[in-house]
Amino acid sequence: MIKRLAVLRILMFTYAAIWTTVRAPHLLDTTDLESIRFDPIGPLWFLQAPVPDGLVLVLVVVTPLAAALAALGWRYRLTAPLAAFSFLMITTYRNSWGQLFHTENLASLQLIVLAIATVAGSVWSLDARRHPSRARASADDGRWAVDAMAVLAVGTYFLAGVAKVRISGWDWVSGDTLLHQVTFDNVRKELLGDPSSPLAAWFVGQTWLMAPAAVASMILELGAPLALLHRRVGQVWALAAVGFHLGVLVLMYIMFPYHLLAIGLAPLLPVENLAPRLARTTVGRAWTRHFRLASSTSPVAG
Amino acid sequence: MRSRLRRLAPALAAVLVLSPLVRVAESDTYPLSTYPMFTADRGSIHDFATVVGVDGAGAVVRLSPEVIAGTDEVVLASVTVERAVARDRAEGLCEAVAARAGRPLTEIIVRSETVDLVAHIVDDEPALAIVEHARCDVTP
Repeated sequence: MIKRLAVLRILMFTYAAIWTTVRAPHLLDTTDLESIRFDPIGPLWFLQAPVPDGLVLVLVVVTPLAAALAALGWRYRLTAPLAAFSFLMITTYRNSWGQLFHTENLASLQLIVLAIATVAGSVWSLDARRHPSRARASADDGRWAVDAMAVLAVGTYFLAGVAKVRISGWDWVSGDTLLHQVTFDNVRKELLGDPSSPLAAWFVGQTWLMAPAAVASMILELGAPLALLHRRVGQVWALAAVGFHLGVLVLMYIMFPYHLLAIGLAPLLPVENLAPRLARTTVGRAWTRHFRLASSTSPVAG
Repeated sequence: MRSRLRRLAPALAAVLVLSPLVRVAESDTYPLSTYPMFTADRGSIHDFATVVGVDGAGAVVRLSPEVIAGTDEVVLASVTVERAVARDRAEGLCEAVAARAGRPLTEIIVRSETVDLVAHIVDDEPALAIVEHARCDVTP
């Protein structure tokens, strides 16, 4: 399990580094927004006004750097908490302007678990290379962190299903709400000059599809906890969730990259098996030389 | 110790992620969300607050979220226009958009469009009604 945790560290912190880099212009846009729109939430609930522009800039610079270093496992006990904290802060700040996005919630929570699980930096990391003697980890180390991240992933989907029942009742599965959500989102994009899905018109025309699609969504969400009961069920559910996000992307042009790339769902998947395959690629060979991934000196037992 | 941690950590994660269940479903926050998106039936007829441009030939031109609200997020742009209309600040928004838009547009209009969602998507039906909130010139 320690190997899966190490792969999760690499995947999740790399995602955080790339996401904050790619979204940097948007994150910096918050410095130009009118302060009247500022509506602090979550961990920033106590703020009375927007923070100084310089602080936003510092977060936008520090977060991807710290995340990249945490992914590499360099001084992990320092860089992982710094990356998790700054990612939480910058995404919370981005969400504090009157509109909540739901794409980075799971990433924020899972990064916190990774930051607490310092053992994640003991394998396939620069720390392990610098101090091989300290990098003793048994195969089962970090299982608690992998399990906790799997629970977080499953829990978010379950909550989404419960919210549908709480707000719309079981009528949600009739398909009408789904139909109106898909059309609303595409029309809004069209009227506000954003690309909309070219497949939306076809999908909306297939009225018979709405109820089955709604039922399938509800089963995926409310049935999410079943993914924790058995390894195989978890894997099938995770792949179904990726398919669900692919459908959302195709029909609504809404991308949940963390979920679509299966990074948030990776605690349920045998991602450690990817490592030997990746190690045979050019990049993988360089990584292997650097981190002694497949060498006999690896301190990892499992 | 290790076995206790192995049991406790997932349980704590479950309590944390499910804690929004004690809140009102519509009461959303971050990162512990109730995930209320896609839950409510928006109905088949909907009012959209929008901002459009008018070119030299008098044709209506759709503007990007960047021009409308200085952001690449369509949802933020939508909220910006909705709030400006609701708070009677459409004229201020109109001027701000005009400053960002520039030529070849000649005018900016802040307006609400009532749309039959399905008819618009499937048959490209025009808006059922349009209410203008503000109109301003684009200065060269």
